[in-house]
Amino acid sequence: METVTSDVVKEPPGSAEAASAGSAPRVYKPEMPLGWWLRQRHYFLYIVREFTALPLALWLLWLLFEIQRASTGPKGYYPPESAAFVVFSVIVLGFALYHSYTFLSLAGVIINIKLLDKPIPSRVIVLSQFAAWFVASVVIAAVLIGFAR
Amino acid sequence: MRHDVARKRRPAFTHLIWWFLFAQGGIIAAILIPVHVLVQGILGPLHIVPVVDRHYDTWIRFLGNPIVKLYLLVLIAAPFFHFAHRLRYLLVDLGVPAARTLPAQAVFYGGAVVITGVTFWVLLTTAPLSFG
Repeated sequence: METVTSDVVKEPPGSAEAASAGSAPRVYKPEMPLGWWLRQRHYFLYIVREFTALPLALWLLWLLFEIQRASTGPKGYYPPESAAFVVFSVIVLGFALYHSYTFLSLAGVIINIKLLDKPIPSRVIVLSQFAAWFVASVVIAAVLIGFAR
Repeated sequence: MRHDVARKRRPAFTHLIWWFLFAQGGIIAAILIPVHVLVQGILGPLHIVPVVDRHYDTWIRFLGNPIVKLYLLVLIAAPFFHFAHRLRYLLVDLGVPAARTLPAQAVFYGGAVVITGVTFWVLLTTAPLSFG
């Protein structure tokens, strides 16, 4: 899935001798230019999908920090308010939605369930994943808002 | 010969565990993270809706609930096993073959283990357990 570049193929045994004899074997060395992922839209979207991990990780670390800050007591605690934080969250939300869309769509390819000897269509499986996402989001939002004052 | 064949057919349990964690972390991140970012990162700070982390008293009471602690442990720790794998291979794809090596694996997956430990510690020490 992730492996686009591959290791340099090892030289076959005896290649050094062959090279010294003047008939160098042709060793396949795939070389990817630095900007290979900018060449095609699909390559670019693949790298964006893999990159989503970084902003999501940063946001979760912020959440962990936010939890830890509660230990400072009522006087030391202040909720996040800055415009920079909101902008950061908006950017992260874009990546988060892209991760959700790509990962939940994959379920149709990965999950293979048979019901009464007939395979469940991948579209149904993908739809069930998106439905689970929707229900979970509504429940979590209700809890986060419901326990506020 | 028979011994060699038996050894080759041994299931790769290590791969099984890391792939399981990768997949579970991915699905947890996909289903749970966007709504947290939207509510706690955007709607709350913009005062569009009241959110539990906007006031100390509601936030600390919320964090004291054992179900919330368990949920937050899963929400924060599990995705890092997914992120570790993705970021390691992102480096490989961007031309850093060293990311394939054993030390790199130790750093990335070890990092996920460390974050799991830190999350566990923060959740246990931040708010006292309360069942109310």
